Amino acid sequence: MRISKQLKQDLLAVPFLLPFFVFYVIFVVSPMIQGFWMSLHKWTIVRKIRYIGLNNYEEMLQDPYFWGALSNTMKFVIWSTPSIIIAGLLLALICNQNLKGKTFFRLSFYMPNILSVAVISTIMVFVFRPYSGLLSTILHDLGMKDEIYWLGDSSLAWFVVVFSTLWWTVGFNMVLFLAALQDIPDFLYEAAKIDGATSLQSFWYITVPLLKPIIWVVTMLQIIASSKVFAQIWLITGGGPGTATRPIIQYIYEIGFRQNDLGYAATMSYALFIILMVLTGIQIKVRKKGEA
Amino acid sequence: MKRKITPVLVLRYILSYGLAFAFIFPVIWMVFTSLKREGTPIRSVAEFFIPPFTTDNYHAVFSRAPIGRWMWNSLSVALVVTVLVVLFSSLAAFAISRIRFRGRTFVYLFFMAGLMVPGEATIIPLFNLANNLGIVNSYKGLILPALAGPFAVIILKEFFDGIPDELVDSARIDGCSMLRMYMTIFVPLSKPAVSTIAIFTFIGNWNSFLWPFLIIMSEKMYTLPVGIPAFNSSYSQDYILPMTVNAVASIPAIIAFLFFQKQIIQGIKLTGIKG
Repeated sequence: MRISKQLKQDLLAVPFLLPFFVFYVIFVVSPMIQGFWMSLHKWTIVRKIRYIGLNNYEEMLQDPYFWGALSNTMKFVIWSTPSIIIAGLLLALICNQNLKGKTFFRLSFYMPNILSVAVISTIMVFVFRPYSGLLSTILHDLGMKDEIYWLGDSSLAWFVVVFSTLWWTVGFNMVLFLAALQDIPDFLYEAAKIDGATSLQSFWYITVPLLKPIIWVVTMLQIIASSKVFAQIWLITGGGPGTATRPIIQYIYEIGFRQNDLGYAATMSYALFIILMVLTGIQIKVRKKGEA
Repeated sequence: MKRKITPVLVLRYILSYGLAFAFIFPVIWMVFTSLKREGTPIRSVAEFFIPPFTTDNYHAVFSRAPIGRWMWNSLSVALVVTVLVVLFSSLAAFAISRIRFRGRTFVYLFFMAGLMVPGEATIIPLFNLANNLGIVNSYKGLILPALAGPFAVIILKEFFDGIPDELVDSARIDGCSMLRMYMTIFVPLSKPAVSTIAIFTFIGNWNSFLWPFLIIMSEKMYTLPVGIPAFNSSYSQDYILPMTVNAVASIPAIIAFLFFQKQIIQGIKLTGIKG
């Protein structure tokens, strides 16, 4: 029997594709489908209880804690995105100056990024701890008598969470901005100088327009990353005070694993999934535009 | 050309160094705190940074919690995941890029679609699946789901596409099999992409929190990111031992970072922009 040339190619591809394909189908594709199936059921850790149609979805739409958690996640996106973008750009500009020690700046700004979320969270908890924390000790040295309970007040707790995230992740954005800054040819700045432009003017009329595509890309990446926030909030505030900083992923976790209602947790995961999918779709579009 | 020292230049130096120092200051503080004797009263900031120092805390944390075991768990899981991700992804990427099988566009788009599925949004069904497979609280449970992300395949496929056809053709004329071509041409020529993927897979896995937090139940199976907060939560007032644990977990990562910083920063540019 002769095997056709095409079939030979097909068979040849199988062993190359198969290992990844199997894991991909089992651990990425099937949970997506399974998640929808679960959302239609009353489902506990141990077993499926019964089919309940769209009841979980109705419950979700009427659940004030769901909306509260979702709006906390959005709040986090709204606070963290601009601050981490602007700080990233600023740090990139610092690294792009013609100063001695450029490498040191870049290393310092990026370094927190390689630390575990568990480490940066506990460091920040101790920095902001009343009485014995680093900040408190510094403030006492400066003569302050009162204590600030950073994690006891919801606005201050939000500040701590966003501040910690900035410290931890801004280095990543900085590296992307720095790469784009280094791609801007020097002669543009030289020409502007000859024409008598101030450095603020060359920043505004040369740097910013040329960075626009990368700013868009980084902004979208940041929005997606911020929408998935969980670990640092969980470890720093635990979602508190009360539920003031509890993000959607924490609520999903609590419903699924503490209250043993996997069906409802899967329903909320689906809502999150759709939001993230839309954001990722936009991001891929933005990126294509940036490359073109 | 020597630059004139102007007040603006001095100011720029002060601000830049000040900020760079501020960024690493909490980490420096962590290291110094870990060297203080337990129960030392701290009356001013300077006292964090002046002797007496001791390394007793390092002995203490290793005897009070299985930190060595947690490190080993983190390290071995991250290493196995890294090796397998590089292997499986590069094999799949090679097939899509160079083997003319039917449906390759479909397979490529099928993998691409996976970029839109964030792991965070599928934790519930994934846990259910792990439970059914009996891999909760095991190394398998930590490793297997981590092999499924399509990001590395997409990046490597793009890289492989850039390898010139002439090389492939001449190898084929010499009677080179596909597997040999993959091993002797594609992988070696894609070293920058492969090492970037390896480094990022390793760091990502080493630091991964949510999934291990969900499926690991017993103390001796903890990875460092899950073990650290568990350890720290039992110390409420004196934070010298928790800071020691933090330092133990961070110092190897910082040393590795200083070694690999060039590749890491190159890698962000490569994947962050192209991915």
